[in-house]
Amino acid sequence: MITLIQTLIDGAMVGLVYGLVAISFVVIYRASKIINLAQGEVLVFGAFLLWTFTEGSGYAIPLPIALVLTLIACVVFGAVIERTVFRPLIGQSAFTIFMAGVALLILLRGVAQLVWGAQTRSAPAILPEGAIEFGPFLVNTRLLIGAVFTVCLTQALHLFFTRARVGLRLAAVAEDHTTALSLGVSVRQAIAVAWILGTVVATAAAAVLLSGSILSLGVAVIGFKALPVALLGGLESIRGAPLAGLIVGMFEALAATYLDPITNGAASGLLPYLLMIAVLLIRPYGLFGWQRIERL
Amino acid sequence: MLTLANIDVVYGGVIQVLRSTNLEVRQGQMVVLLGANGAGKSTTMRAISGLLHADHGAVTAGRIMFDGTDITHADPSAIVKSGLVQVLEGRRVLEHLTVHQNLMIGAHLRRDRAGIRADLDKVYQYFPALPELQNRIAGYLSGGEMQMVLIGRALMARPKLLMLDEPSMGLAPILTRQLFETVARIRREEGLTVLLVEQNARSAIAQCDYGYIMDGGRIVLHGSRAQLSSNEDVQEFYLGLSGAEDRTSYRDVKHYRRRKRWLG
Repeated sequence: MITLIQTLIDGAMVGLVYGLVAISFVVIYRASKIINLAQGEVLVFGAFLLWTFTEGSGYAIPLPIALVLTLIACVVFGAVIERTVFRPLIGQSAFTIFMAGVALLILLRGVAQLVWGAQTRSAPAILPEGAIEFGPFLVNTRLLIGAVFTVCLTQALHLFFTRARVGLRLAAVAEDHTTALSLGVSVRQAIAVAWILGTVVATAAAAVLLSGSILSLGVAVIGFKALPVALLGGLESIRGAPLAGLIVGMFEALAATYLDPITNGAASGLLPYLLMIAVLLIRPYGLFGWQRIERL
Repeated sequence: MLTLANIDVVYGGVIQVLRSTNLEVRQGQMVVLLGANGAGKSTTMRAISGLLHADHGAVTAGRIMFDGTDITHADPSAIVKSGLVQVLEGRRVLEHLTVHQNLMIGAHLRRDRAGIRADLDKVYQYFPALPELQNRIAGYLSGGEMQMVLIGRALMARPKLLMLDEPSMGLAPILTRQLFETVARIRREEGLTVLLVEQNARSAIAQCDYGYIMDGGRIVLHGSRAQLSSNEDVQEFYLGLSGAEDRTSYRDVKHYRRRKRWLG
């Protein structure tokens, strides 16, 4: 029993961080209708930027300043991706954009290797290590902070998209570009803002997820782990992402504890994708995504 | 207030849709633009709002002036900001947002919180059905309710000139009448100028100050309400009357032989 609950707690914590990465997919998809296949690489890039400003710089930059510098670098990075790769492709077919995503993925991997080298290094530990005891259960402090951060960020983004002027603009762009234009919304600007926001969220996820652990190009796989989470939650739904993350994380943890010993560790890797396929068959727009409203 | 001078619009670089279109809307007027399907009415509206770009169209000749500034190639957001707001045809509400959010987004270019608040109250006053619906998802409203949301959303931008593209499309006649009555009331009370595109000629001509008739991408006829409703061609082709006293008998007239004079 204790193992079961401990497993669920661990799964939920990791799942919420998946949710954070999924939010970065959602933010970008809503405005631009693009699923950025290279989002995992974007995340790793963000992590490398953070490393550069902390341990890699050779100077003792205080952490808050390093975080601000990383944030600025991310904003520039997101804007550059949008401006150079995806803006010229507005209005092109989904396949073209898919291929551009693949190209960006390969390109970012290459550039990251060129700039930072292929060796693994330790990621900056910006969050405290250790664990908090709740009775018989142990909760990893880093993941707990990450989970709380995810929940707060989700709520903040939700309010942003439903109340704030800029957020409402992004919501209008998410619905329909022509309508948004007729309302005087600059669709280009909105898409650029969405990419920047998505990049910043992905980097925040990287900082939380990798704090104190290993940073290498392989970490980019998290992108493909978070994609099913985003699809499961619904690609338009900010609040759906962490909820779907919880589900996926807990199932993954359960499979890792109970099925992996029998299946040589294959079950935990497969389960999220099986879950995703099952949900998409029943609700193609995900659990909380925008259902297409058909009028007859 | 709004002047179109010799506008040509070409889609995709080859398909010419508007040919030397001229149109003028004066301050405080209600101007109606009539025409059959494909006559170029919506294209004219989109050219004014700067929305042609999305359909690969462009104004290739002529000038569009609004309030003394040239807006021919201006950015849509700059055009909305200058007080020229269009309600597109086809009831494009933001389907997954609530009615309240739909209305608030109309005011996204404004910063005066008190003014926005006051305008929201005003919209709710003009459309008394809306306050109850404010937390409903807009995509599930009825057609009439959607049209109220759309006009309300446009009003939230505090327009000087409101352009309505076929607001009566798909609405029951009684709803259409109510809608036109509300628009007339808003116009009286807010001093709003309106440019209306309609297929429903009878009710549109009845309340306009001035009207234009389009055919094949050109303005073929224009005049005041009295001139239009007494014009024989308008009577025959748009109002379904031929001669004031006796009704048309299809046997005598050979309708298809009768040519619109302006096509000659």
